[in-house]
Amino acid sequence: MGLFSDIYNTVARFFRPQEEQGEGPSKAVAANRLKLVLMQDRTNLTPKILEQMRGELIDLLSKYLEMDKELLELNFEQEGDQVALMLSIPVIRAKDEDEIEEAINASKSEDEENEESEGDNEDSSENAEDSEGSENPEEIENSETATPQGESGEEETPKPKKKRSKKVSQPEEIENHTSEKDIQQENLVENMQGE
Amino acid sequence: MTGRVIVITSGKGGVGKTTTSANIGTALAKEGYKVVLIDTDLGLRNLDLLLGLENRIVYTIVDVIEERCKLKQALVKDKKNPNLSLLAAAQTRDKSAVNAEQLKDICDKLKEKNDFVLIDCPAGIEQGFQNAVAGASEAIVVTTPEMSAIRDADRIIGLLEAKEEIKSYKLLLNRVRPNLIKSNDMMSVDDVVEILSCPLIGIIPEDTGIITSTNKGEPIVNDENSMAGKAYRNVAQRILGEEVPFLDLDEPKGFMAKIKNVFAKLKAKV
Repeated sequence: MGLFSDIYNTVARFFRPQEEQGEGPSKAVAANRLKLVLMQDRTNLTPKILEQMRGELIDLLSKYLEMDKELLELNFEQEGDQVALMLSIPVIRAKDEDEIEEAINASKSEDEENEESEGDNEDSSENAEDSEGSENPEEIENSETATPQGESGEEETPKPKKKRSKKVSQPEEIENHTSEKDIQQENLVENMQGE
Repeated sequence: MTGRVIVITSGKGGVGKTTTSANIGTALAKEGYKVVLIDTDLGLRNLDLLLGLENRIVYTIVDVIEERCKLKQALVKDKKNPNLSLLAAAQTRDKSAVNAEQLKDICDKLKEKNDFVLIDCPAGIEQGFQNAVAGASEAIVVTTPEMSAIRDADRIIGLLEAKEEIKSYKLLLNRVRPNLIKSNDMMSVDDVVEILSCPLIGIIPEDTGIITSTNKGEPIVNDENSMAGKAYRNVAQRILGEEVPFLDLDEPKGFMAKIKNVFAKLKAKV
C-alpha cells in the first residue's frame, strides 16, 4: 500500500510542478510574525498598550519634528537574546525654535490640566520635562534641512532595550501599564485591526 | 519501583499528541519496559483507536475514580505487547468528571508498578490540561512547524515552567516536511527551536504511513521501514537516556527515496 501510494504521489507531483510553491519563500514572513506575536504574548505588551505607546511617542516627537504620522512604525526586533524596540519615522522637516517652544508650552498647559483632574498621564509630563532639559535649539535650528535625511532611518526610542524576560518577571514599566490598563482589554481586537 | 510520569501535551489540537503517545508508549514497551498509557481526553477519546483497542474497553478512568472498578481492572492490555496497557478515557463524560487531585492519585499508584506512565493530554489550557499535568514530572510538548502550533506551544511551555512538579520539558517537532523547508516555505527545525528556546527530543517527518497505521489501529513504530516510525523509536531511545543523532531528513535513503530523487532532478530540469 505504502509503496503504491508513494509511487502515485511521486508521479502526480511530477505533473503538478507548482504544487505547494506559493508565491515565493514564506518562511521568513512566518518567523518574523511569530516572533512579534510571541513577544506580545510573553510580555503582556498588548496591541492596546503598543498603540498607547505609539501615541505618546508621536506626541513627544511632534514637538520637535514634522513627520508622516501614518507611516510611523514601531517594532520589536530580536538581536540574540536581547529585544530592541525600533522606531522608524519618515521626517518631513525639523521644526524651528519658536514652533518647538510653542509646542512645549502647549503640552505643559495640557499637562497641568491633566494633573488637576487626575495624575493619569504621568509619563507624558515626565517626557515633556525631559525633553525640555535636553533641548538644544541651536542644533535643531542649524540643521533644519539636514536633519530629515540624517534621521529618516531607523532610530531607537527613549525606552529602548529590554532584556527578554520570559514569563516569570516582567519589565517594570510594562507592569505598571498592564495593571492600569487590564480593564480595557475588551477593545483589543479593534486596536489590532487599527494597527 | 518508581516509574517516570510523562505528559504529552501541545496546546493546539491536531498536531499529533495522541499519535505521539501511542508510538512512544509502544516503542518503550518494545524495549521491554512496562508502560501504561492514560487517555485524559474525556469525551473525545482516541488513543484506544490508534492502538486498535477500542473493542476491548470495559472500564474507563472515570469508573476507577468513581470506584466502580479497581484500577487494575480498567487497564486494557495491548494485543501484541503485554508490557503495554491503556487506561481509557470515558467517552460519555466531560473534563469536569475528573479533578487534578484524582488524576495525580492514579498516576502515583500506576508509577509504583510501571516504568513509564504516559499521559495523553487534551488540547487546550483549561481543566483538561491542568488535570493531565497534575501527576506528571516530565513533559513532551508536541508542535508542528506552523505558526499557530508554535504559538500555542509557547503558551504551554510558559504554563509548564510555572509548575513546580514539572522537572523537565522537551520539544517534539512533528510533521516536518523537508521539501517545504528546502524551498523556504516551512520554518526549519532550527527556527522553531530558536523561537521556543526549548530542548528538542525528536523530529518526526510527515509520513503518509501515519494515516494507514491509524486505519489499521497499529502504531507506526511497528513498521520497520517507516521514517516516522524510526523517528519515534529514536525518541524512545532518547527518553531512555541514549544519545541518538537526529534523523537527517535532507537525504532520505532507500529505494523509494532514490526514485524520488530521480524524479526531483527531472522536475528541476523541466
